Amino acid sequence: MKTEIKGGKAFSYVDIELAPGETITTESDAMSSMAADLDLTAQLNGGFVKGILRKFLGGETLFISQFSNNTDGPRALTVVQPTPGEIKCVEMTGDMLYLQPGAFLACSEGVKVGLAWAGFTSLIAREGLFRMVVSGEGQVWYGAYGALIEKEIDGEYIIDTSHLVAYEPTVKLKLQLAGGIFSSFFGGEGLVTRVEGKGKVVIQSRSISGLAGWINPKFFW
Amino acid sequence: METYTVNITGEISEYQQRDEAIAAFAKLFSISPAQAEKTFEKAPIAIKKNVDLETADKFKEALIGIGVECIAIASSRAEDLAATQASVYSAEPDVSVQNNTSEPDALAATPMQEDEFKGFEFTIEGDPDYGFVTVQLPADKTIKVEASAMATMDTNLNMKTKFKGGIGRMMTGESLFINEFTAEGGSGEIGIAPGAPGDLSHQYLDNQTIFLQNSAFVACSEDVIVETKWQGLTKGFFSGESLFLIRCSGVGDLWFNTYGAIIEIDVTEDYVVDTGNIVGFTEGLDYKITKVGGYKSLFFSGEGFVCRFSGQGKVWIQTRGVDALVGWAHWFRPVKTNNS
Repeated sequence: MKTEIKGGKAFSYVDIELAPGETITTESDAMSSMAADLDLTAQLNGGFVKGILRKFLGGETLFISQFSNNTDGPRALTVVQPTPGEIKCVEMTGDMLYLQPGAFLACSEGVKVGLAWAGFTSLIAREGLFRMVVSGEGQVWYGAYGALIEKEIDGEYIIDTSHLVAYEPTVKLKLQLAGGIFSSFFGGEGLVTRVEGKGKVVIQSRSISGLAGWINPKFFW
Repeated sequence: METYTVNITGEISEYQQRDEAIAAFAKLFSISPAQAEKTFEKAPIAIKKNVDLETADKFKEALIGIGVECIAIASSRAEDLAATQASVYSAEPDVSVQNNTSEPDALAATPMQEDEFKGFEFTIEGDPDYGFVTVQLPADKTIKVEASAMATMDTNLNMKTKFKGGIGRMMTGESLFINEFTAEGGSGEIGIAPGAPGDLSHQYLDNQTIFLQNSAFVACSEDVIVETKWQGLTKGFFSGESLFLIRCSGVGDLWFNTYGAIIEIDVTEDYVVDTGNIVGFTEGLDYKITKVGGYKSLFFSGEGFVCRFSGQGKVWIQTRGVDALVGWAHWFRPVKTNNS
């Protein structure tokens, strides 16, 4: 499988070339164009109950799409994400990665996508009660609104809620106020996530709440 | 077909440290830093021979990206030279196919070293689409940040909310509050994400004054004074943004953001900017709200009112206007039906 992320940071998309016999799994509606003879199978996202859980708790879709190349030549496929923003690819080698709800886009064969309890902390932080866990071996594509910035954490660090996209299992999340009581409620920061541990986190350089706060006052009616 | 030879001149871009550039060079060609150092000692030297123009350009781009000066020479000419100068090529500009200038874009990700000695150290990532600035605060230093723009920070940063700008800021439609972050008991970093999609720019104020349109302010160091300034009714009403400008003065760093990409313009004579594209300008420039042509063009050209700057100074403009986005997006907003 040959893949390349194109379109810059503003409107990334994944250009995929499937070799004969290869399969790729994507979120439903993520395919924007493809060779006409690729086979699409819509599947419940890990079974009916799990799929329902994922839809309502993981911010994912009930169905996922599998694209298989059953022809005898390479076939092309483009995958996009619903929001403007950057897409990144991570090469999994038996390790695990947590993704925030909505960040998962596609994965190659050999990658397991699961749902894990994230705790009430995560719910209050508006990050959802569950988080996506990707594990196994292969490639995973994920994305968010804004540019994606990787950061190595060693110790403690504070990330504003809704800026966290992905993190390694060695990183734990806690919740705290941004400042004192007054500051937290009037300073527009409110609750923030405190991450602890040693590992990599990925943050998005824009948030939908920031966009809304900027654009909404500009509408006159 | 003509082939080209890529040579390094042995010089390092003025924006890059020598050892950093050599380390990056070693990584690029998968050699040890010691080997890279040796190659540099032998410079000017050919590092890629007889490749086509496209490949040569790719090498040049990569080298300039890490701050290594280089030139591409047509192989036929290089061989002539080689005959007279053994294997070492001269880096005289007269043999270069194209003169290289270090591109600021390629260096955007490196810390702005020129500012280190006066302002805070910082890096801008994600630009130009979604600029994100990470500022390193020395111990006990304070930075003022637009409310709700903080995205990440170290745990030793303490946040306080200040009521800045008074009643004026309330009327600009901006949030009333600026948050102050202080690094307590040691240095710390803060990552700042503005709301609008677009770029970020930095200016070091040395007793200058910059006026910003009301949503452009992102952050500044403690000693920069931020106030709102009444533009006057005509200017304010027609300038597309609001009746107030944000006036930043004093000494220190100032960061501001744009919707779209940012363009800096040195104004020496009169210059006209569409009102919706103004981000900011330096004090000393006079500005007037005028129409571009006659009344006919005012109403039918779609340009409406423009801002005419005169005097000497700088103007920053953004490559997109919010009004245009609002006008474009409005028709796709859900309509609330009133059932009363």
